[in-house]
Amino acid sequence: MIELFIAPLTETYFQKALIGGSIVAVVAGVVGCLVVLKRMAFLGDALSHAMIAGVAGGYLVMKMFFGLEAHAPGMLLGSLIAAVSTVALISFVSRISRVKEDTAIGIMYTGIFALGVVAVSIFRHYIHIDLMHFIMGDILGVADTDLWVSAFVAAVVLTILIFFFRHFQLAAFDTVMAASIGLPVVLLDYVLTTCVSLVVVSAVSMVGVILVVGLLITPAATAYLLSDRLDKMMVLAALFGVTSVIGGLYLCVWLDSAGGGAIMLFCTFQFLVVLTVAPKYGLLSRWLRRRNLVPQQLIEDVLTTVLRYGKPAPVEVIRQYLDPVKGLGKVMKRMVQDDLLAASASGFALTDKGEKEANKVLRAHRLWETYLSSIGTPETDLHPTAHKLEHLREGDTVEYLDKKLGSPKQDPHGKAIPPGE
Amino acid sequence: MTIDTPFVIEVEHLTVSYGARPALLDVSVNIETDQLVGIIGPNGAGKSTFIKAVLGFVRPDLGTVRINGIDARKAKGLVAYVPQRGAVDWDFPITVREVALMGRYQQIPWYASPRKTDWDAAIGALEMVRMADLADRQIGELSGGQQQRVFMARALAQGSDILLLDEPFAGVDAATERAILEVLERAKKAGKTLVVVHHDLSSAAEYFDKIMLIKQRLYAYGDPRAVLQEDLLSEVYEGRLRIFKEVLEKEAPR
Repeated sequence: MIELFIAPLTETYFQKALIGGSIVAVVAGVVGCLVVLKRMAFLGDALSHAMIAGVAGGYLVMKMFFGLEAHAPGMLLGSLIAAVSTVALISFVSRISRVKEDTAIGIMYTGIFALGVVAVSIFRHYIHIDLMHFIMGDILGVADTDLWVSAFVAAVVLTILIFFFRHFQLAAFDTVMAASIGLPVVLLDYVLTTCVSLVVVSAVSMVGVILVVGLLITPAATAYLLSDRLDKMMVLAALFGVTSVIGGLYLCVWLDSAGGGAIMLFCTFQFLVVLTVAPKYGLLSRWLRRRNLVPQQLIEDVLTTVLRYGKPAPVEVIRQYLDPVKGLGKVMKRMVQDDLLAASASGFALTDKGEKEANKVLRAHRLWETYLSSIGTPETDLHPTAHKLEHLREGDTVEYLDKKLGSPKQDPHGKAIPPGE
Repeated sequence: MTIDTPFVIEVEHLTVSYGARPALLDVSVNIETDQLVGIIGPNGAGKSTFIKAVLGFVRPDLGTVRINGIDARKAKGLVAYVPQRGAVDWDFPITVREVALMGRYQQIPWYASPRKTDWDAAIGALEMVRMADLADRQIGELSGGQQQRVFMARALAQGSDILLLDEPFAGVDAATERAILEVLERAKKAGKTLVVVHHDLSSAAEYFDKIMLIKQRLYAYGDPRAVLQEDLLSEVYEGRLRIFKEVLEKEAPR
C-alpha cells in the first residue's frame, strides 16, 4: 500500500512534475484570488489562448534571425508579449467604444488565437509546434528550463503581490477610493494582468491552455468558500493548488492518464467537496441551518394554545389545536430549552417567561380582533384573520391599536384582553 | 368597468408586513383626481411599499387598494410607474422615440407592428415633456434630467390617468428640478393624477397640492400647510427638530 505512494517518488520525471507543478500551483492560487474577486476569470482564459500567437512569433523570430530551433526563452518572451498586448487591446477597445469588456475579451482573444493558428499552419515547414501539446500540456515531460522559468516567475510575482498586498486589496475592493488616495489604479491593473500573463505562460507547458484557467481560479474559489480574509484566502488557495497537483499526479500515475487532466479533475473534486462541507458557506451547513430554524409563528401558536388550555397540555392536545405541522416535537424541545415551556408527566406547562410571551401574543390577537370588528370585518372572519395578524407585533404596532381603540378591556367575543406592560 | 367614485386611489386599512414587522399599518387614504400628491416620510417608512401596493405588486395582510374602484391587483395598466433613474443600460442601442413608444407596448398585440397612432402617442408624450426635439437621440447622450423626462414620457404614453413617480428629484440640479416640476404641472393640467415619492421637506410645501406623511402609519394627508406641522414632523422624524424649525420659519411668511 505504502509502496503505491513511495514508488513514483523515486522517479525523476515524477519529482520534476511535483516540484514544477507545485511552484506553478502556489503562484496561480495566490494570483487567482485577485482574479476571482475581480471577476476576471474569462481574462485568464483569453490570455492562455492568445499565447499561441506569441509562441509562434517567438519561434519564428529566433529561427529566422538567430537560427535557433525551438528556442524556449524566445517563445516564452513571445507569449508574454502576446498576452500583454491582448490585455492592452482589450482595455483599449472597452475604454474607447461602447463595447463592454466581456465582449472585448471575446473578440480580442479569439482574434489573436486565430492569428497564432494561421501562423503556425502557414509556417508549418519552419515551425514545429505540436498544437495538441499546447492545448493539453505535458506535466510529466517537464524540462529543467521549464522548472527554472516557473521558479523565477513565481518568485517575481509573489514578491510583487506580497510587497503591494494592501494596494491590490484596496484596488480590488474599491477602485474609486483607491484612486482618491493616490494609488495608481490603472498601473496596478496592468501589473496584475501582467502577473496573470506570467503565471499563465509559465504554466501552459505543464497543464495546457485550457486547464491553466482551472489552476488559476478553482483553488482560489475553493479557498473563497472557507475564508473571510484575503490573506488567509491566498494561503489556502496556494495550499489547495499544491494538493491538487500532488493528488492529480498520483491519480495520473495510478490510472496512467493525462497529467494535466488528472490534476484539474482532482482540483475540481476538491472544490466540490469543500462546497459541500465548508462550515459557513457550504451546502451541508446551509441545509442544517435551515432545518434547525424554528418558525417564530409556530412557537407563538404553541404558546397561546397552552395558555388557552389552562393546564399542562400533552403534545397530542397541542397538535389538535394547530394547523397541520411537521416537526412539532422538535419545536417543543427547543421551547423547553429556551425556557418557554416546562415538561412534566401531565404535559407541557408554561414557564413564567412563556406565560409572559403567550399573554403578549394573546393581547395582540384580541386587540386585532377588536380592530377588525371595528372596521366591519364579518364575525366569522375575525378569529382566522386575527390569528394571522397576531404575529405582527414589532415596533409599537400593538400599542397603536390599543390607543386607537381606546384601550378596550374586552374583545368582540367578550373575552378579557390581557393588559400591556 | 369603472365604478363612479370621486377618488382615483382609495386605500382602506392597508396593512402590509415583512415577517413580524409591519411596513404599513392601518393606512387609509383617498386621493382625489387631478392632484399632485407628495409622499413624505423618513427612510424605511414604507413609501416604496405603498407605491408597490398601489401598483398591485404586494398582497396586503389586510385592507384594500382600489384604483378607479377596481382592486389594485386586478388593475394592472391603470397606473403608470416611473422608476428611479439608473436601472437601465444607458449604452443600449435605443432612441428617445423608441423608449417613449415602449409605453404603448401593452396595447400593441404581439403579431402587429406599432401603428401610426402609437407613434403619435409617443411623440405627443415627448412633446408634453418638451423632449420631442431630441427624439432621435440615443438615450445615453442625454443629461440626467432629460433622461428622467424621457421615462416620464414613456409613462404618459401609456395613457394612464395615474402616474407614480419614485423620487424623480433625487440627485438632479435646481434647473432640472424646475423642468421636471413643470412637466408634472402640465401633466396635472392634462387631467392626470400624480403621486410622487419625495425626500426634500423644504420644497414639499411649494411643489405639491396634497401631502401624505407616512411612517408605517399615515400621520396626515391633506393640504401642505396642514400637514407640515412641527408636532407632526417631530413625531415622524424623531429628534431632528431643529432642521424642521428652520424649514417652517422659511415657509411661514408666504
